[in-house]
Amino acid sequence: MKETKLEIRFFTITEYEKEQEYLRERHQSGWKFVGYTVPCFYHFVKCEPEDVVYQLDYNKDGAAHKDEYVQMFTDCGWEYLMDVLGYSYFRKPVSEMKEDEEIFCDDSSRLDMIGRVFKGRMIPLIGIFLCCIVPQMFRVFHLQDAADRGIFFVFCALLVLYLILFVQFGVQYWRLKKRTER
Amino acid sequence: MDAHIKKVYVPMTETGFYILLSLRKEMHGYSIVQQVEEMTGGEVRLSPGTMYGSLSKMEKDGLIAFVREEEKRKIYQITELGIEVLEREMKRIERLYRNMKEAVS
Repeated sequence: MKETKLEIRFFTITEYEKEQEYLRERHQSGWKFVGYTVPCFYHFVKCEPEDVVYQLDYNKDGAAHKDEYVQMFTDCGWEYLMDVLGYSYFRKPVSEMKEDEEIFCDDSSRLDMIGRVFKGRMIPLIGIFLCCIVPQMFRVFHLQDAADRGIFFVFCALLVLYLILFVQFGVQYWRLKKRTER
Repeated sequence: MDAHIKKVYVPMTETGFYILLSLRKEMHGYSIVQQVEEMTGGEVRLSPGTMYGSLSKMEKDGLIAFVREEEKRKIYQITELGIEVLEREMKRIERLYRNMKEAVS
């Protein structure tokens, strides 16, 4: 039986670049990524250490035409691993590359991907934020007893978490946009 | 040519240009990747995420059209609108090239 391990890591919606680096480092130290369990469990199997590039794409159109989508990546030498919450995972060993390779070759398509993440993942979050969290905060703000104050603090924490997410997303989008316009 | 097409495709990315240039003949995404690599002596290597995204965007915008499927690979061909956009881009590149030559001669 192969040796396996489970790691807990949390990456926010827009931290896919950090996640890619994390998976690559694990593979370099002899742990191959084999599965993910929501919300933050990464499954690995022991393997020969190898430098393998991991990449994430977010493409609903691709998910709807899975066969053709995966075929395009396979043709270019990328192994398709899995889909998690709309993200598709791919990997390719550095030894099979002629030079540094990624699944995107220009900033314009990287920006398109962030746009798709925004539509698919951020807009629903903004919806929850505006329709649930903000109104609830106003509602519990005026209540006096201790239990309600507790709830108020929970909503405060959620508010901060959401704001961090939005700012993170905004910064990443803006950086890439700047790079594209240069 | 409407404002959206102009905004997105004039001027065009290198990937977009090579896709339209290649699709004057019908072919699938990966054969475009191979052809471009050959044409540029390996200098331009198109990536699958970029290719898939560009092809579906161009299909949606009506620059290219889906012809048929062969072994899970979608075959596309350029449309009238695609040709119009390509010709405009060719003129722009010609002007760029001419001015460059003049400036350095």
